[in-house]
Amino acid sequence: MSETTATTTAAPMFEIENLHANIEDKEILKGVNLTIRKGEIHAMMGPNGSGKSTLAYVLAGHPSYEVTEGVIRFNGEDILEMAPDERARKGVFLAFQYPTVIPGVSMANFLRMAVTSVRNARADAAAADGGEAKRMAPREFRRLMREKMALLKMDDSFATRYLNEGFSGGEKKRAEILQMALLEPSMAILDETDSGLDIDALRVVSEGVNALAGPEMGILLITHYQRLLDHIKPDRVHIMMDGRIVQSAGPELALELEAHGYEGLRARFAPDLSPVVAAERA
Amino acid sequence: MEATLTDTPRSTLIGFSRDAVEELSRRKAEPDWVLRARLAAWDLYESMPMPVRTDEEWRRTDLRGLKLDRQIPFAGLERRGVGLADLLPAGEGGLDPDVHRAGAVVQRDAATVHAEVDPALAAQGVVFADLDTAVREHPELVRRFFMTEAVPVGFGKLEALHAAFWQGGTFLYVPKGVRVELPFRAFAVATEPGASLFAHTLVVLEEGAEAFVVDAYRSETQERQAFTSGVVELILRRDAKLRYVQVQEWGRHVWSFLTERAVLADDATLNSLHVSLGSKFAKNSIGAHLRGENSLAEMLGIFFADGDQFMDHHTWQLHESPFATSDLEFKGALKGKARSVYSGMIKVEEGAQKTDAYQQNRNLVLSPTARADSIPNLEIAANDVRCTHGATVSQVEEEHLFYLQARGIERSEAQKLIVEGFFRPVIDRIPVAEIQDFLQAAIAHKVGI
Repeated sequence: MSETTATTTAAPMFEIENLHANIEDKEILKGVNLTIRKGEIHAMMGPNGSGKSTLAYVLAGHPSYEVTEGVIRFNGEDILEMAPDERARKGVFLAFQYPTVIPGVSMANFLRMAVTSVRNARADAAAADGGEAKRMAPREFRRLMREKMALLKMDDSFATRYLNEGFSGGEKKRAEILQMALLEPSMAILDETDSGLDIDALRVVSEGVNALAGPEMGILLITHYQRLLDHIKPDRVHIMMDGRIVQSAGPELALELEAHGYEGLRARFAPDLSPVVAAERA
Repeated sequence: MEATLTDTPRSTLIGFSRDAVEELSRRKAEPDWVLRARLAAWDLYESMPMPVRTDEEWRRTDLRGLKLDRQIPFAGLERRGVGLADLLPAGEGGLDPDVHRAGAVVQRDAATVHAEVDPALAAQGVVFADLDTAVREHPELVRRFFMTEAVPVGFGKLEALHAAFWQGGTFLYVPKGVRVELPFRAFAVATEPGASLFAHTLVVLEEGAEAFVVDAYRSETQERQAFTSGVVELILRRDAKLRYVQVQEWGRHVWSFLTERAVLADDATLNSLHVSLGSKFAKNSIGAHLRGENSLAEMLGIFFADGDQFMDHHTWQLHESPFATSDLEFKGALKGKARSVYSGMIKVEEGAQKTDAYQQNRNLVLSPTARADSIPNLEIAANDVRCTHGATVSQVEEEHLFYLQARGIERSEAQKLIVEGFFRPVIDRIPVAEIQDFLQAAIAHKVGI
């Protein structure tokens, strides 16, 4: 409802129009509109339960959510009917708030399968467009993995561990960014990647994200707190409440939020939802 | 009837009988004591009742589909061996016959078609041969150990039938202090339609001896039902160490019964792995008698059933002396309309103090029409022991699939990865690359069927 035209003329990458989504017949998203262009970093803020994580899951194609209305286009293509793996191969990446532990699956094996399927799909798409198909060789994969692990200051032994098993909160988040670095998505959704990180880990993860960001990539940062935005500078900040974006503005909006809290914003932008306003009126 | 060199069992014998026992022994030209032992076993078989479903061990087992009276008791007796590569063509998912080994014995139907052992080991007194050869060349050893100590003839009705009709078979004897690193390989391959197969493995490790034995059972799927009853006897004297791996890949027409018992003396160590992939019906009773102090049995199992397969594993950790350890982990996956039963017993006898026993069975059910039952049991008559057991039946979690799919991995591949991961902790406990690779490929194949 309040997405303003970006200052650049870059093509829209993610176009979300009037998105409604349910889980178990309960409506969580109630008409989300958002456009993210190439090279843009958007921050999505809002109180607990406002629908931020649901938006992330719906964009990635989680099967438990049912989209009842609206459109999601990615590079001009409707992706609503696509399975999550197909979306990932098209370049959508979700960094999970709570990465899943999968026992018995080694990190290295998992990463090789993921990287092979995503990069080979990309190479095949490039070849179909008349470009060169560059499939990845195993040696190249190992070199790339070592390089990206160094970037995120991760120990070598990490590759032999089972997927997220016994990882600390910080290690899990770092592992998510490692996957992002290896898959090189064109659109990354980071769902509360800052939660559970101490200051040092936050810096390493932010540096990792900043190193990947660029003119070809769109990023949607979902966060509660301003502190992540001290490290990763957003172009746009949105406030989500009760399944809708109630306010969008430049980075100054995050500072305003820091100063007044969600309750202050709620009173200004969504008085219907504010228990304080409701109490005053009563 | 005269012994003949032509192979005509199909026209001669259907069903198990005293005549069939005599015919088998005559055609194998066995010594009289072997025939007498077979007939005694036959009499025992006839005197024992068939297991019924009121017996606890058979409560969940439906034998109505098995037509014992229509089975051919043996076939292919006169067949001679060709090359090992012809017997066990590579590239069919089986274990590679060309791998480095201390020796190999191949049983095809009722006949041994290939037997070899490293001459350097033979010079040290190691005996590795088919049972017929062992009967001729080492009768004193066979008489002493064959179905006397680990699985006695009177163990049960089907074991008595086995004692009357055993064919082929593998015998390993390792003298005191001899340690063999390379695996002894035994293969039992069934090809004759409708013919029964009674494979037998008898391993005796004298004090301080060490060995590694791999048993593989295989057949192509055929129309006509076939019956197999195997017995495995593992006898470990003081301080002996045995690694035993068994891979069952019978065709889908086979009703397979297997009874295995290991007997461990003081300080002996057994590491076993049982892999069940094939057969229409499989009932395995696998046990270790921890008879000696400070003995250790690690018992691992992997089973994967699909289609209309039924797999039933009963395990026994029998602590008969103090200070012994048993560590059992059986994992199963099920697809299609497959069914499995796991029932495990830890039994600690009076006086077996300081026993440390662990038993775990986990099952992964991959389709809504498959079913796994798991029944752990403890029976403890000592008061200073540590026994733990656990059983789970679970499904692939949607959140796991979504996570992998969100990384571009197709749903079917993601499922494969999760199932492989489910078995991985067991696979990692077998420090043999060839076995690990085989298991990984076999599991991937099963998931993809």
